[in-house]
Amino acid sequence: MTAVLQLGTAAERGGGRAEAVGDFAEFVRMSMPGLLRYGHALTGNPHDSADLVQAVLEKVGSRWAAVQRKGDDPLAYVRRAMANTHISIWRRRRRESLVADFPDSGAVAPELSRLENEPLWQALRDLPPRQRAVVVLRYYENLSEAEIADALGISCGTVKSQSSKAMASLRTRLAKEGVTGGRTG
Amino acid sequence: MDELDDQLRKLFSDDRLDVHSPPVAAETVVRGAARLRRRRAAITGAFAVAVLVGAGIGLAQLGKARSDDTVSAYLTTATPTTSTTTPQTSVSTFTSTVIVTTNPPPSSNGGNPDTPGTGTRSDPKSDPPPAPPTPEAQPGRYGSLSLGMSEGDALATGSLVEPSTPADPENRCKAYATKSVPDSNAVIISPARGIVRITLASFAKTPKNVGVGSKVTDVKTAYANATQSGSNVVVEMNATPAWSYIFESDGSTVTTVFMRLNANDCAGV
Repeated sequence: MTAVLQLGTAAERGGGRAEAVGDFAEFVRMSMPGLLRYGHALTGNPHDSADLVQAVLEKVGSRWAAVQRKGDDPLAYVRRAMANTHISIWRRRRRESLVADFPDSGAVAPELSRLENEPLWQALRDLPPRQRAVVVLRYYENLSEAEIADALGISCGTVKSQSSKAMASLRTRLAKEGVTGGRTG
Repeated sequence: MDELDDQLRKLFSDDRLDVHSPPVAAETVVRGAARLRRRRAAITGAFAVAVLVGAGIGLAQLGKARSDDTVSAYLTTATPTTSTTTPQTSVSTFTSTVIVTTNPPPSSNGGNPDTPGTGTRSDPKSDPPPAPPTPEAQPGRYGSLSLGMSEGDALATGSLVEPSTPADPENRCKAYATKSVPDSNAVIISPARGIVRITLASFAKTPKNVGVGSKVTDVKTAYANATQSGSNVVVEMNATPAWSYIFESDGSTVTTVFMRLNANDCAGV
């Protein structure tokens, strides 16, 4: 209980700040490539990914001592925070980016534009953020339904319904475009 | 096996996801984190001064409204039950009590404010408490906010500063700064249990005249039922719902005081 209580403001004011900062910088360096990739899957956009990673890491870093004392894996903590932040804050931004259909596609690198032109990637982009997060956590992070529910703070039932809605939307969208996405066998 | 499952796994393992994110330098993030932390600290100081002035005005107005039964009821609660209080502390006791009681809205109409616990110490004169380590009976409220209050009611008081921030990684509980405590975790609200934590302003004292800057030993003297928990001192209150004062300290001096609902369900509160 003691450790939990100390998570508040006192923990942030505690000593050993310099050590904590060095530690945090090291954590950022080590985790950055993986987080950017995860952010890309989550947001569907490399720029939003960079913004998301930076915003979440800054926030986590500003209370790094408290996060560490919590005893969770900090990387798992950051990933959960990214999924939730993306759902709550990036929703609006995502809608805006839908309207602008690759305005700067001329500047996009060839590999990326191949990804952007992939029907499944486009279909994912159209999912509501929470549905997309559920799909990413399930197929990118390989989390179970219970783990997804825990990470997003929703019930298992909601995970199931969001997941099945997402998969149905993806199937419909892919079928419309004549891409195989249905069940086999 | 579902073909879409395979397609999704393949897509997410595609190395094209790796490329073309604008680089985010670790130094930039570290600087940003330090900036956020400094901003929190700076705002805390500025607000504390502003609220201190506000409390002073409240003090002046209180002089006119001394006949208000609410105030006297709170003063009664604030009166130490032990008879060992030294006389020279009485002046500061009065001042601090005012700060604590200035904020409650004039909702309590008359002589019996909603103090669920007051019944337990029915008549101090005829029944002096022989053993001090009985929990204090004090309602879990501070200013216009009460422990257990729903988020909607709390927002309606106008004491919270929006927007909220997630109080835990799961985004279940929400943290708000308040008008008097700009720390982003000043008030934490659980979706199930309402307010589970209220941080006192840095200048505020509890009715027993302890607060930020008090010695840990003073806290223990003021509250006989205080228990040490790491560097924190926990003082349980006899009220409904049950709650505790948490005095965070650096080992000898109190650095933060907050009120915490005993039955809280937010991680890290």
